[in-house]
Amino acid sequence: MFSFTPSLTLPTPPPVSRSLISHRLAVSREYLEVATVIAAITLVAWFTPLDYRVFGDIYLAAVIALSLRVGRWPILFATVFSVLAWNFAIVPPRLSFSQLDLKDGVFLGTYFFTALLAGQLTSRLRAQERRERQREQRATALFHLSRALNAAETLDEGVATALRLADTLFECRSSLLLSGETPALAVHAASSLSLTRDDLAAAEQVYRSTVPRGRPAASKPSLASLHVPLHHRGHTLGVLTLGGWRRPVSLAAEDRELLETFAAQISLHVERERLRAVSEHEKLLAESDRLQRTLLDSVSHELKTPLAVLRTAAENLTTDDPSRRQSLAAEVRTATARLTRVVGNLLNQSRLEAGGLIAKLDWCDVRDVIVAARRDVGDALAPHPITIAIAEDTPLCQADFALLEQVVANLLVNAALHTPPGTPVSISAGVDRIAERFFLTVADRGPGLPAELRDEAFHKFRRGAGARPGGLGLGLSIVHGFMRAQGGSVQVSSQPGGGACFTLHLPYLTHDHVPHE
Amino acid sequence: MTTARPGKPTLLVIDDEVQIRRLLRFTLEDAGYLVREADTGHHGLVEAAHHHPDAVLLDLGLPDLHGTEVLKRLREWSSAPVLVLSVLGEEENKIAALDAGADDYLTKPFGGGELLARLRALLRRIKVDEPAAIARFGPFEVHLVDRKVLKNGAFVKLTAKEYALFHLFVTHRDKVLTHSQILGELWGPESLSQTHYLRIFMMRLRRKLEDEPDTPRYLQTESTVGYRLVTDPR
Repeated sequence: MFSFTPSLTLPTPPPVSRSLISHRLAVSREYLEVATVIAAITLVAWFTPLDYRVFGDIYLAAVIALSLRVGRWPILFATVFSVLAWNFAIVPPRLSFSQLDLKDGVFLGTYFFTALLAGQLTSRLRAQERRERQREQRATALFHLSRALNAAETLDEGVATALRLADTLFECRSSLLLSGETPALAVHAASSLSLTRDDLAAAEQVYRSTVPRGRPAASKPSLASLHVPLHHRGHTLGVLTLGGWRRPVSLAAEDRELLETFAAQISLHVERERLRAVSEHEKLLAESDRLQRTLLDSVSHELKTPLAVLRTAAENLTTDDPSRRQSLAAEVRTATARLTRVVGNLLNQSRLEAGGLIAKLDWCDVRDVIVAARRDVGDALAPHPITIAIAEDTPLCQADFALLEQVVANLLVNAALHTPPGTPVSISAGVDRIAERFFLTVADRGPGLPAELRDEAFHKFRRGAGARPGGLGLGLSIVHGFMRAQGGSVQVSSQPGGGACFTLHLPYLTHDHVPHE
Repeated sequence: MTTARPGKPTLLVIDDEVQIRRLLRFTLEDAGYLVREADTGHHGLVEAAHHHPDAVLLDLGLPDLHGTEVLKRLREWSSAPVLVLSVLGEEENKIAALDAGADDYLTKPFGGGELLARLRALLRRIKVDEPAAIARFGPFEVHLVDRKVLKNGAFVKLTAKEYALFHLFVTHRDKVLTHSQILGELWGPESLSQTHYLRIFMMRLRRKLEDEPDTPRYLQTESTVGYRLVTDPR
């Protein structure tokens, strides 16, 4: 059975029928085969009382048949061997070389000529066929390579595919050295060939000199590694090294060409992925720049306003009018509540963005969470009548109490900020038995959320066009982040009859039985 | 300096922020307390040893000693009530401090009114430490000897476990009880993580004792920390 490692799914290399390194029968085996066939025919002829010329024809047929399987020289051998065997064993007197008459001499000459010609023709045909097949394999390999590289979504994925393809195609192990931000070459993690010190030095030299090195084309078969530079528009991106051959090989000119095309394809891919990385990085920078500016603008506004209130109130507190002092104190309280909320939201958002937020899931009673959240929101919700509807049989839910409390508090603040005073807010909770999940909704009878803002409502710094001052646009982004951290989700919809309705979902889980005593 | 006027309780404020100390002194002296200050944990322990304050306000983020460490050393010889001051995001330290023997906590920023209410409750409790046979608060009357609970004069039927839980709250009324304190007391030390036992029993208890179980007045939730029985809800 196959087993998959879920974390690491390398792209499977496309099927390449066989390697390009041709597999001819070993030469000694060809001679053996030829000798066996001729000997067998001679043996049969020895016991068969037929005219010896008949066997001349049978030998000819056998030699032509053999030429389909073996090379030119074994065929020459077969021809000579069969002539000698025929003369020695078949042509009477047997077991001696006989003087041939003219007729037999002509027959022998024709036989010789025909056999050699047949051998020559078939071996030429076979060589042609082999070249065709190799050409086709090369084309297929290149096709697979370019398709795989196009499909690859990352640099690493593409390189891994290309190297595995090279491994199969050239029957070797391969390694890719790439120059990164530093000019030094670094071995790519997908390499299957571990480079020796000599290999590294040679690759380094190839990288510097930009001339292919290792050994000249069509040299004697050897085990030495082959280094091919990756060029792109005049500069060298790295070096592709093939090595770890199982037996000495020499690459034909076509194979070298293929290898260089391979290298060129990989260069293209590397360059393309690098450009993409650069442009993505720049896009990110631009985006983060934009966010930074938005953050700075809104944070400085949100922090400076209550600070200005506090300062003015403090300066005026020396007034003798006690009723004025009362109202100043109320202003100070409102300003600090706002400041506390802004700082809390900023802290929560940075907790989310630092990525270190791990929800501590435990059993929570949603009624407790709602009570705690209402207490957190405090006076801000005072002008809004609240109704709570929680089904009697609502079970405990798995949540992080503090996170869920903050989520509900943010939704309540959101409702308080974006609806006129007096607008009713309703909270409900329970279990959706069909979808098997826990839900909690916070709904108001305010103006509702414009449809075009619904998808973006949970993005940070997104604020409604007509939103009243007093928000950073972080509240809902925190709601979204905290719900996700708890394995839940949040949705917003319009209420029938007007108003926004936020629905929180959490997985529905059941705890073990709680004893009555 | 050390002569405390009789009748005026002495408080020790251990906080490294001078502005916080100044404002606390302002609030507390106005409310009729005598205030002593310490800016480090070591200094605080020395002050506490010399002056035996009636209650201690301890900031958890001290520069020299961790607040929990100060608490542990203090608890070696003093049982004075300790009110822990923490900032948002220090939930774990807060719970650790409560488990280590702190009596209550406040999260900065807090209001003066809230602080004074907590202090009053803390100081009142030292006086009522001797268990009376009957505890009375709000509409409740708890007969500790014959294990009966009456609400508005009517007998409320509680199971043995429910009574044990309520009894725990009554003996520690107005004090925060952490989840692990309650679980350890009622279900034993091996059940400290069985939060759902506690949640379910609180639900049952509230249904029997509260007028509106979904918005309880007496059996209040302390987010992430635990529960508290409030005897005089505002």
